[in-house]
Amino acid sequence: MQQDIEHISGIFGVEPDIASLLLRYMNWNKERLIEKYMDNAHAVSTAAGIVPPEKSPEPSCSQIGPRRSSRLGISKPSKSKASERSPPAGEPFVCPICFDDTQQETLALACGHLFCRACWGAYVSSKVRTEAESWITCMAEGCALVAPDSFVRTALGDDAQTWARFQELVVRHFVSCMPNLKYCPYPSCSYTVSCPAAASKSALATIVPTVRCGASGAHVFCFGCAIETDHRPVICAVAKMWLQKCRDDSETANWIKSNTKECSKCQSTIEKNGGCNHMTCKKCKYEFCWVCMGPWSEHGTAWYSCNRYDEKASVDARDAQSKSRASLERYLHYYNRWANHEQSARLSAELYAKTEQKMEEMQLASALSWIEVQFMRKAVDESVRCRGTLKWTYSMAYYLEKGNEKELFEDNQRDLERAVEELSELIESPIDPEVIMSLRQKVTDKTVYVQKRNEIMLEDTARGFLEGRWTWNVDVEGFEKD
Amino acid sequence: MSGICRARLTEERKQWRKDHPFGFYAKPTKASDGTMNLLEWEVGIPGKAGTPWEGGVYKLMMIFPEDYPSKPPKCKFAPPLFHPNVYPSGTVCLSILDEEKSWKPAITIKQVLLGIQELLNDPNVNDPAQSDAYTMFKNDKAAYERRVRQQARENVPK
Repeated sequence: MQQDIEHISGIFGVEPDIASLLLRYMNWNKERLIEKYMDNAHAVSTAAGIVPPEKSPEPSCSQIGPRRSSRLGISKPSKSKASERSPPAGEPFVCPICFDDTQQETLALACGHLFCRACWGAYVSSKVRTEAESWITCMAEGCALVAPDSFVRTALGDDAQTWARFQELVVRHFVSCMPNLKYCPYPSCSYTVSCPAAASKSALATIVPTVRCGASGAHVFCFGCAIETDHRPVICAVAKMWLQKCRDDSETANWIKSNTKECSKCQSTIEKNGGCNHMTCKKCKYEFCWVCMGPWSEHGTAWYSCNRYDEKASVDARDAQSKSRASLERYLHYYNRWANHEQSARLSAELYAKTEQKMEEMQLASALSWIEVQFMRKAVDESVRCRGTLKWTYSMAYYLEKGNEKELFEDNQRDLERAVEELSELIESPIDPEVIMSLRQKVTDKTVYVQKRNEIMLEDTARGFLEGRWTWNVDVEGFEKD
Repeated sequence: MSGICRARLTEERKQWRKDHPFGFYAKPTKASDGTMNLLEWEVGIPGKAGTPWEGGVYKLMMIFPEDYPSKPPKCKFAPPLFHPNVYPSGTVCLSILDEEKSWKPAITIKQVLLGIQELLNDPNVNDPAQSDAYTMFKNDKAAYERRVRQQARENVPK
């Protein structure tokens, strides 16, 4: 950032403050700024709020500093006329904001709108602190001039905290404008991550840019989207689609499944909220029996107690019913597994605590040292990581088109899942001093195996993306449907 | 109340008493014990002559935040007004009253009130705040105008 400012300041021969404003105005796009500035320096400077309109094109910002001025009436906001800037001697300055005439120190931007220092301070500080705004315009009505860094500094006086916040806001603006930079989304982490590979949108169709920030190894997130976890192996577009679907559907779908049936004629979903089994569809007026789903007309006199479960018409009706439920079932199949792994991951904190305890027990029960029982922790680490992968594989599988590729994918998924389950079981098995050594061997082996399977799963999927091997059963952003 | 806020409102009051546009009124409210509440003003905005708003004086409350004038006052018609840019609560939606848009500490109460008067007959259709007035304004200008005239009659000062 500092480099860019110095670069621009050097090229245009302007002060670093001005260069910074120009860059901020152009969203830090250096090339475009240079192009535009060379084209029409004055227009750019005016638009960026550096020079007042209809004045000399020379961007001057040297008006910062104490100055005395004429009385500016409240009903007549000054319109930055040069005449108002030269004060007639003797008259005290009255700030048009607070009407205090005892203030000696005044400040103004290049537009010459003078206000007392206390008002500027209160204004700038409220902009920075409550609005998180780094683009601070002049206090005069309709004036678009922007305060450069040095002015903000002067206005804030010795309020170092707000000044620091202001600088942070400028940096944040810079980072948000750079496609290859991102802030670590973890709470109170202020690290920035650079990921040039994921700077372009098209790259996201083939890679999952999972990054780790320098502050802590636990701060892993996806560079390409807003999901704050590692969503490998699926790409951002699919992960996003899946999350959206889950948000919309899962609860509703569950409820529909357990509380409603579809009309066998028009497939409207019907909830029975009381009354007898004689249902009349509101939409198509079809009359049927809620228990057997067959038409009511065939019920004869056996109303209110259905004993006709095996009649042909009823069976047909139930078949149709199950077909329409199949898609829901399919979704729920994937969702439940996804949610299951999510749940396990959420419980990982508890698992860690339990494991910690177990490791202590182990040390007491056997001759193993602290170092030697670390294999348990490693096993937990690995299982948590794999559950993360497994979770996302279900969202991927839901959208994958049926075929050999999907079968291979699901084979990998099954292998990994089985291995993880076995490992989990081992981790939770009771400690028996007799077999502790063999348990240790088993857990260590399993951990290595699971790790391998996870790598295979991730690598194969990633390679699949690069080779364009995956086909989807829906439209996915970045993929062409053939 | 902070120093700047109090000083500014006192001065605004002074300036207003010295001179204000015709037909308007603006005064700080009084608490039950007779003390003046500078943070809450009761004002009246007359409809412009030659518009359907003519004749009415529309009552509005101006509520000043503690950090006025860094932050704009909240302007609220009481009772709520039939107008595309007035929220059902009566709050006015106007760019100069929005700190993230055009509010500047140098804008005076007089300018705010004149701005609102201007807005009455010149609504901003890009920023609708209530559906009743907005849809009628868009679809049936004649009915809208009738409704505005009716409202003006209801707001003739006694």
